[in-house]
Amino acid sequence: MPTLLQLKNVTKTYGSQDTKFDALKNINLKIDSGEFVSITGPSGSGKSTLMHIIGLLDNPTSGKVILENKNTSKLKENQLASLRNKSLGFVFQQFNLLSKTSSLDNTILPLLYSDIPQKEHKKLGIKMLDKVKIKNKASNTPAQLSGGEQQRVAIARALINNPKIILADEPTGNLDSKSGKNIIKLLKRLNKEGKTIILVTHDLSLAKLANRMITIKDGQIKC
Amino acid sequence: MLKPNPRELLKSSFKSIFKNKTRTLLTSLGIIIGVTSVILLISIGNGLKSFINDQFESLGSNFVIITAGKIFNEEGGFNNEGAYTTFSFNKKDVTTLKRKLKNINAVIPASQSTVKAKFQDTIKESMLIATTTDYAIYRKQKLKQGRWFNESEQKKESKVVVLGSKIAKNLFQNTYPINKKVSIGSANFKVVGVIEEVGGTLGGPSFDDYIYTPLETGFNFMENDGIQSIDIAVKNKEDIALIKKETEKILLDSYDEDKFSVFDQNKILSSINTILNTLTIALTGIAAISLVVGGIGIMNIMLVSVTERTREIGLRKAVGAYPRAILLQFLFEAVILSVFGGSIGILLGSIGTIALNNFFPAKVTIESILLAFGVCCAVGIIFGVAPARRASKLSPIDALRYE
Ligand SMILES: Nc1ncnc2c1ncn2[C@@H]1O[C@H](COP(=O)(O)OP(=O)(O)O)[C@@H](O)[C@H]1O
Ligand SMILES: [Mg+2]
Repeated sequence: MPTLLQLKNVTKTYGSQDTKFDALKNINLKIDSGEFVSITGPSGSGKSTLMHIIGLLDNPTSGKVILENKNTSKLKENQLASLRNKSLGFVFQQFNLLSKTSSLDNTILPLLYSDIPQKEHKKLGIKMLDKVKIKNKASNTPAQLSGGEQQRVAIARALINNPKIILADEPTGNLDSKSGKNIIKLLKRLNKEGKTIILVTHDLSLAKLANRMITIKDGQIKC
Repeated sequence: MLKPNPRELLKSSFKSIFKNKTRTLLTSLGIIIGVTSVILLISIGNGLKSFINDQFESLGSNFVIITAGKIFNEEGGFNNEGAYTTFSFNKKDVTTLKRKLKNINAVIPASQSTVKAKFQDTIKESMLIATTTDYAIYRKQKLKQGRWFNESEQKKESKVVVLGSKIAKNLFQNTYPINKKVSIGSANFKVVGVIEEVGGTLGGPSFDDYIYTPLETGFNFMENDGIQSIDIAVKNKEDIALIKKETEKILLDSYDEDKFSVFDQNKILSSINTILNTLTIALTGIAAISLVVGGIGIMNIMLVSVTERTREIGLRKAVGAYPRAILLQFLFEAVILSVFGGSIGILLGSIGTIALNNFFPAKVTIESILLAFGVCCAVGIIFGVAPARRASKLSPIDALRYE
């Protein structure tokens, strides 16, 4: 399988001068298309920071992020936004759904910023909700959904632009263990259908379900 | 190219705003009040203007008017001091004008004095106008009862009067006034006619309160035997300017230029319009201050909204929104709030104008609606820019981490 994503000597330093703190230290990482990788490690080890850099939400202090053979460090803000829109799908611990907004409208939010014509938005949204098995709650607002259901809507939203990679940062962190398991099963299924999945979790039992497990400690990859 | 296109963005802004109806309404309140008052004030100003113009038109417009005193100032407004002149014209001036002016229908002198009119136990203050039969003809007086005094009564200096509708009503109540006697000063006058109501002159003395008598009769019984004003009824409208000039020339032979004024209706009309316009603009300007206050209210709420929705902004950026899309979304929201308030204001102002119309001439104009609408858009943009810029500059990471 071809390399989809590569990190070369990535370092992230927060603060300045005396408050300087290296959250990531010289990270080298290669992820192939179709992989299911889990990133695990204790709280504060730099998992989210790594995820944000992979997701082009944040710039590394030094080093390179190469996505689909493109060096992203030279891209402008708008180009990064377009790349996030087309190639990446995000799933967050806090779901981050818009309140008072239906599942369907939440799902199709990324399409608003895409080239896909508006008349196809609804159809695509329903299709994605169907894929995550929550089509019957398309008109519910987040307040009318359980945590697990909200996370399904968030996954539908991550899938809508048909991205290559799904980035999930502690997607089960706000869920009970049963709904958490179901979410991981869903990610597993999406991986079987060809999506590259990067899952951040501090739960070892869940991390082990991935094809490859990366452990990170004090901003460094352990194995 | 901007994604989404502005139309979709507008739709999305609409959705965001109307998720919180109470807040939307409260935020727009300042704009609603401001626009309502602006619309109302402009309506009242315009209504007054057209009312006064109509009144003038109904009085007949082919006149050159001469009054004692300098009643206009240099800016075209009214000159207060001129109204208190003791100067007056005499009968010789009237005959001279009649003799020398061409293309005129009549020269109509009028002598005014304030009097107390009495019928039985009722006494009323009134203005006595001593004039001629021509006044009725060229000033288009319509009589409700009886008739105007005639030529022979004028020649014989008979003690007859014609009453304005209001003074007639006040003096006589339910009694039929024709041929009854009214005492004015030391003498008794026979009522020969009552004029139809002409309506208010907005606070000033009303024609409906006036009493008319033949010129010489007036001179015989009043202390006043001067003529304070002379109307020249002109045959053709086009001659007004020329006749005005000639009149001035004739009068300057006998009097100084600061003793009298010669003008036509248009002059008075344009003076009144100048005053009304100034007044309307001043009042509208004051009302417009509340629009600024409303705009600040919108800015305030939008800033709160940006803070509240920090996570939403982060999310939108994470899923691909350009900073400019965020900027426009929040700018549109501010403009929608302000235009929403403006539309309600326009509606309320129009309803208010219709209600006012029962008591007062007022009418909404397209211009005032367009003006209000334009000002609202501008207020939305001006006061929306700061919050929108703040939103667009948030970094997605900080926004997503925001608790
Ligand atoms: N914006 C920031 N400024 C300063 N320090 C930060 C910032 N974000 C994260 N950190 C620090 O970087 C370290 C790694 O954080 P994070 O990547 O969120 O850890 P994890 O997700 O593994 O729990 C932590 O010590 C955290 O305090
Ligand atoms: Mg984390």
